[in-house]
Amino acid sequence: MAWIKRSWTPHEADEWTKEDWIAIVLSPLSFIFITFGLAMSLFLLPAGFIMLIVGIVITAVMFWVIDPKLDVISEDYEHKQREYLEELEKIQRWEEDK
Amino acid sequence: MVHFTGLDYFWVIAYILLTLATGVLFYRLGKRSGADFFLAGRGLPWWLPATSNFATHTATDTPMWFSGFVYQKGLYGIWGSLFTGWCAISAWVSTRIFRRSLAGTQAEWQTLRFSGLPGELMRGWIAGWQVVFNMFIAGWVGIAMGNVCQWAFNWPIWWGLVLFSVVCCIYAMTSGYWGVIIADVQQGITMFLTCVIVSVWAVLAVGSPSAIVEKVRAMGYADMLDPFRTTGFVTGDYPLLWLITMIAVPFLGGFGMATHFDWFVEAQRIQSARTVKAAAYSMWWGAAAIIVRNSIWAIAVLAFFVLHPGMTRESEYQLAWFRMGFEYLPSGLVGFFFAGILAIHFSTVSGILNLGSMYATRDVYHHYINPGATEKQVIQVGRIMTVVVMLGSFFFGLMIGENVTKWLFFALWLMVAGTWLPNILQVIWWRFNGWAYLSAWIANLGTCWLVVWVLPAFGVLPELKDFEQFWLLMALVACVYIPVTFLTKPDDMERLVKVYVQTRPIGFWGPVRREAERRGLLAKVHEIELKAEQNSGKE
Repeated sequence: MAWIKRSWTPHEADEWTKEDWIAIVLSPLSFIFITFGLAMSLFLLPAGFIMLIVGIVITAVMFWVIDPKLDVISEDYEHKQREYLEELEKIQRWEEDK
Repeated sequence: MVHFTGLDYFWVIAYILLTLATGVLFYRLGKRSGADFFLAGRGLPWWLPATSNFATHTATDTPMWFSGFVYQKGLYGIWGSLFTGWCAISAWVSTRIFRRSLAGTQAEWQTLRFSGLPGELMRGWIAGWQVVFNMFIAGWVGIAMGNVCQWAFNWPIWWGLVLFSVVCCIYAMTSGYWGVIIADVQQGITMFLTCVIVSVWAVLAVGSPSAIVEKVRAMGYADMLDPFRTTGFVTGDYPLLWLITMIAVPFLGGFGMATHFDWFVEAQRIQSARTVKAAAYSMWWGAAAIIVRNSIWAIAVLAFFVLHPGMTRESEYQLAWFRMGFEYLPSGLVGFFFAGILAIHFSTVSGILNLGSMYATRDVYHHYINPGATEKQVIQVGRIMTVVVMLGSFFFGLMIGENVTKWLFFALWLMVAGTWLPNILQVIWWRFNGWAYLSAWIANLGTCWLVVWVLPAFGVLPELKDFEQFWLLMALVACVYIPVTFLTKPDDMERLVKVYVQTRPIGFWGPVRREAERRGLLAKVHEIELKAEQNSGKE
């Protein structure tokens, strides 16, 4: 599925792209379908099983889309984290700067 | 009144000892540094904060109000519990942004996002409010335990509140967030097992899942099995506007920070996660476990409805899930059930005590009172504040008394209704400044009491439904912060560029992005420069 980008550079991953928006749209749908699908399935209602399967498929697609991007964001950000933490500590102890 | 056998006592005592042992085992890790006492050293794999999210948000009051929703409205009532849906979008948006900010608390985020005096005022405001609010939540959850113990053992209501909060305080004080989060794992597993066991016995008590369905239909309540029914836009028992509110407000709230008060708990877990991805996954899977739990609970509550129809008093039917456990489980398992209730209770109260202490210590003591405090002093104050938050919770718990569900909507929805949109705007719009955000909080605090309690009491405003109050509060507060936004200067561009480059927020940040590019701070600019250099080299 070439339309979905699964290989990222750190710079590309920092931008908000359609892959993020796909995850943003699918995620609430996944929650709603799983919630009511499971609840109705436990009562053995046929509509429940259909909703539950749809919910699980949506969830799988969502993670397939967003996971590679998150991997790259995390890896890249960890390199910068130490510097940011030092900066944060300065803000925390603001009185010493004066 | 519930009677315990020897095996039941064994489960309960063993469980309390196991929980207290966590405090002893993680004592050394908790006292290593302030970051360990409050964030477990910022190095947890995703599944630890995820389990903690699930465990912390399964509180003693949760099965009470959930039972209330489902007993009254059947599967439709589950919508009322879907506020956890804010994690669905937050996991991919605001969690990523907040994790990158590295702010230890939501109060700390204020001084990163907003510059100068308004940033400091917001930090102080959020910190103070969170200390008091966590006392309120611990009291609210604690008194729910008091209610359960009163019903089950005929104890005075304050016994359950005080006794089990003290147990939580001991291990939260000893080992800090390390103890809290590790205990949350065993508590999360215990409570999930308990939920499954109660639902299985509930189904067996009626006969089968199909038997519950048949009996509900035979009683003339077939619509209780339909979660998607409506009775008009704003009229009837199932208004469409209520449903829209229940879907739109939580889910869209995931674009912002603090759109739901659970955010403050999650913010601690987000920062304790090892990486950005771990934070995102912990949010998503923690919330997913919660929605699965709700569905499992629903069948137990509807089984109770079939066995005990016609209850009209909230204080009766809100105990549906607890009564299924106490009345239908065999002796020996009742003690395990009560241990499960303790797991539910301990996980929330210990987390809340540590969180309240974190705001008091990191954002009030360390930031304003003693900025030069050593790590040892920070931990000592953290421990003292854990006790202070617990003592405050006793006051709020006794004030709430039996009206647990009545307080739910006020605390969950209405006290944050006016700040819902500003909480999103602070993330997605560069022009929304500290003064606007501060004015929204102040305006909301005044108007929520007026709209919900004061004006209806004097007949100035009719009694509105909760979702109508929500939209009204949102509109009223917007009348304050929108003019304030445009009448005051934008935040300092230096600060905005810094926060943009570090957190890369979503939304309307055009001028800030262009400034960051002009300063050569964004990768895109570096790439263009690199290409230009390569091209000039060729020439």
